[in-house]
Amino acid sequence: MPSLCCYFQVHQPYRLRRFTYFDSSSSFDYFDHEFNLEIFKKVAEKCYLPANQILLELVERFDGRFRIAFSLSGVVLEQMKAYYPEVLDGFIKLARSGCVEFLSETYHHSLAALIDEREFYEQVRMHGQTITDIFGVQPRVFRNTELIYDDQIGRMVAGLGYRGIIVEGCEDVLDWRSANYIYRNSQAELPLILRNFRFSDDIAFRFSNQNWEGYPLSAGKFASWIHSLTDSADVVNLCMDYETFGEHQWSGTGIFDFLRGFPDEILQNPAWDFLTPSEVLDRYQPVGDLSFPRLTSWADEKRDISAWQGNRMQKRALAAVAGLGALVRNSGDKRFWEVWRKLQISDHFYYMATKSSADGDVHAYFSPYGSPYDAFIRYMNVIKDFKEFLSVPFITR
Amino acid sequence: MLGWEYPPHISGGLGTACEGLTKGLARLGVRITFVVPQLMGGEDAPHMVILDSYRGFGKRSSSKKKKRAVEVEETSEEESIIEKIKVPAALSPYWRPEEYERYIARFSKLWSSKAEDGVEEIDLAKILGKRKPKPAAAQYGSNIFEEVEQYATNVVAAVHDSDFDLIHGHDWMTYPAAIALKRITGKPLVLHIHSLEYDRSGSGMNPRIRAIEEAGMQAADLVISVSHYTKSMVNWQYKIPLEKICPVHNGIYPKKVTEHHRASWAVPRKIVLFLGRVTYQKGPDFFVEVAPRVIPHVPNVLFVMAGTGDMLPRLMRRVSELGLSRHFHFAGFLKGKQVDRMLSISDLYVMPSVSEPFGLSALEAINFNTPALISRQSGVSEVVEHALKYDFWDMDRLADLMVNALLHDELRAEMAACARHELGKLRWDASAEKTVQVYKRALQLPRSERPEFRR
Repeated sequence: MPSLCCYFQVHQPYRLRRFTYFDSSSSFDYFDHEFNLEIFKKVAEKCYLPANQILLELVERFDGRFRIAFSLSGVVLEQMKAYYPEVLDGFIKLARSGCVEFLSETYHHSLAALIDEREFYEQVRMHGQTITDIFGVQPRVFRNTELIYDDQIGRMVAGLGYRGIIVEGCEDVLDWRSANYIYRNSQAELPLILRNFRFSDDIAFRFSNQNWEGYPLSAGKFASWIHSLTDSADVVNLCMDYETFGEHQWSGTGIFDFLRGFPDEILQNPAWDFLTPSEVLDRYQPVGDLSFPRLTSWADEKRDISAWQGNRMQKRALAAVAGLGALVRNSGDKRFWEVWRKLQISDHFYYMATKSSADGDVHAYFSPYGSPYDAFIRYMNVIKDFKEFLSVPFITR
Repeated sequence: MLGWEYPPHISGGLGTACEGLTKGLARLGVRITFVVPQLMGGEDAPHMVILDSYRGFGKRSSSKKKKRAVEVEETSEEESIIEKIKVPAALSPYWRPEEYERYIARFSKLWSSKAEDGVEEIDLAKILGKRKPKPAAAQYGSNIFEEVEQYATNVVAAVHDSDFDLIHGHDWMTYPAAIALKRITGKPLVLHIHSLEYDRSGSGMNPRIRAIEEAGMQAADLVISVSHYTKSMVNWQYKIPLEKICPVHNGIYPKKVTEHHRASWAVPRKIVLFLGRVTYQKGPDFFVEVAPRVIPHVPNVLFVMAGTGDMLPRLMRRVSELGLSRHFHFAGFLKGKQVDRMLSISDLYVMPSVSEPFGLSALEAINFNTPALISRQSGVSEVVEHALKYDFWDMDRLADLMVNALLHDELRAEMAACARHELGKLRWDASAEKTVQVYKRALQLPRSERPEFRR
C-alpha cells in the first residue's frame, strides 16, 4: 500500500536595509523591518492565511486520513509572532489536529552545515527548542536548508539522533534507482527520504506554465499520475515551498482549487494513503544503501550548492561571515550572536547568484535587489561595519 | 549612407558605430555607399564604398568606377585613397560653435607650421604625403554650419543621380544633406539618432542645431534611435510619434584582449577610468567630485580622465583645489591602440553620463574585461545586465559602488566575466538585422505617406 508524503517549507528571510560603505550602525540594526513586514503581510494574505484555512478544512474533513508535514524556519516563526500572530495561530491549530508533523532544520535557514559544525549543531538545537515550545512536539525528522546534503552532513545529522532526513532525489545520485523508496546512509545508519522532484516541481514550478504539456493541471490528472505508480513505489514525496500556494502560483491560477481537490482525488484509489515523514519511516524499511558523494540540494537545475556558492562573490561573502565566528564567540554578547546568525541566512547568498536563463529568473524573482552585485555590496558593507564593531575592545564599547 | 566621420579618425562613438553597423549590414548583403565630408586616410572599409563628398563631387566625371555609387567594392586598389585627399577636414560635430572656432584657429596655426602632432593626434604629414597643403578654409567654411551646408551641397552633387534605394543619415550634421537628397530623389529617408542636441548640451541647446534635428526627423520616413532611452527623448523633446521611432541598440565586435597591459604596471594601483568628451553630457564633474569620498578608503586609487572638452580646464583646477592631483591623471585625447590599452589596464570603467543615448565605450571596456559602472540615464544600461548602475545624480550610491568595486576583486572579476559573456548577444550583426527590418518598413511605406519633391 503506497503512500504520499507532503512536506511544505515555510521561510522568510530578514532582508537587509539600505546600508552603504559610509554608514555605520551603533545598534547594528542592519535589517529593514518595514520592508520585511510589508513582504510578510503580503505573503501572509496571499498564501499563509488562505492555505492554512484550506488545510485545516481538509484535515477535519478527512478525519486523520489527510496528513502533512511542515518545516518552519526559526526566523519565519519570529516574523509570524512579530508581524502577524494570526498566521502562527493557524499553524498551532494545524498542530493540534494531530495530522501534522513539524520537521527540524537550522533556526536561521542557514548554510552553517557548510562552514561551522559547532554552529550548525547550535542552530539545530535552537530550532528544536523553539518548535517544542510552540507546538509541544519534539521534531524527529531532519531537513537541512534547501535540502543541502551529502554523506558528511548525513553523519552530522545522525549524530544528533534524528530518525531520518529528507534529501533531494537527484538523478545522478540515484542512477538507476527510484526516488520513491526509502534508502539509507550506510555509514551513519540514517534513513533517507527522497524528494520526487518531478512531481514536486509539476506543482511548484510548472502548474501555471501554459507551454507545459501537462497544463492545465487538475487535481484529478495529478492523482492519476500518482496512481500509475501503485505497484512501483513505497512512498512519493512531494516537497515544496509553502508559498507555492497563492504566492509563487497566484490564486488566479487555480492553485487553491487544486489543493482543495487533491486529497480526495488521491484517496479515490484505496491503495493510497497520506503519511507524515515519521510515519513513513515507521512503515517502510530502506531498500538499500545510497551514498551522496557530492553536495546536493533542491535548488536550480544542477541540484547542487551553486545557488549559494556558485560564484566568487558568494564564496567571499560566506567566508567573510564565517570568519566573524571567533570574534562573536569571544564577545560573549548575546546580541552579537543574533546579528551574526541573521547574517548567515542562506537567502543573502542566494541573491548574489549571477546565473543566467531559467535559474537566473528564479533568483531574480526572489531577490529584493536590482542585481547580484547590489546584493553583494550591501552585504559586505554590513559585514564590514559589524566586524569593526566586534573588533573594538570590550571595555571601550 | 551619410556619415560624418569614420575610424580611425573619430571624435566620439559615432564613427565607431558607423563602422560596426555598416560591416553588419554588408554581411547581410546591403550595398552601401558611405559619404563622409572628407577622407582622412587610413579608413579601412573594404565592405563598402566610402566616398569623400568633396572628392566625389570633383572626381565623378573622371572616375568611371564611382558612377554606380551603391556598389560594394574592395579598396585594395593600387591607387590609395590617402593620396587623393585634398583638404583635411577639421570637423568635430560635438563641439559647440565657440569650441569649433578655437579649434580652427589652432588648426590653422599648426597647419602653417606643419607640426606633426595635431590637436587630435592626426598625423597630418602622413595623410598628405608629399602633396602641398591647401589652407583649410579654402574649401570649407570656418563655421560648423557652413561645413554642414557645404557637405549637403557636395553630397547632393555627388550622388543625387546615383542608383540607390534608400537614404540613411547619421546625426544632425548629415540631416540637411539627407533632407535635400530625399527632396530631389524621393527615396525613403531613415535618420539615425546617435545623440541629440539635448544630450550634448542639456539646457544650453543650440537652437539652430535643434531646429535642424527637428526638421530632419520630421522629413524622415522612419527614425532609428540607439536606445529606448533615446526613443523616449525623441518623442518627448521633438514630438515625433512613437510609431515612427525604431530603437536599434548599438553592438560590438569583440576584439582580442591584450592582457599583458595589466602586468606592465610596476606599482599596484587601482585605476578608475573616465573616457569620453569632457563635456556636460558626459558628467565628468561627478567623476571628480566623487573622488574625495573614495580616496580615504582606497588609498592606492588613480583616477584617469581621458578626453578633452570645454569642461576640462575647470575640472583640472578643481582637482588641484581639492588637493587630489596625486590621485588624478589627465590623459588627453586617446585613440586607437591607446584607447585599447587604457581600457585594459583600468580596474573600473566609469560612465557618469547625465544623458547618454547609448554609450558604446562601456561595451568596449567590458570587451577588455574591465567592469563598468554606468549611469542609468544611458542606452547601454538597457542592454547590459552585468554592470553597476546608478542614477547620475546619486553621488552617495556612486561612491558606495566605486569603493566596493575597487575593494572587492571578486566583485570585479565576477562582473567582468559575466558582462563579457553578455557581449555575445550584442553583436553588430543583430543591430544590422534590426536595421534591415527598418529599411524594409521604410521601403514598404505607401508612397502617399512619403512627401515627394521631385523636380
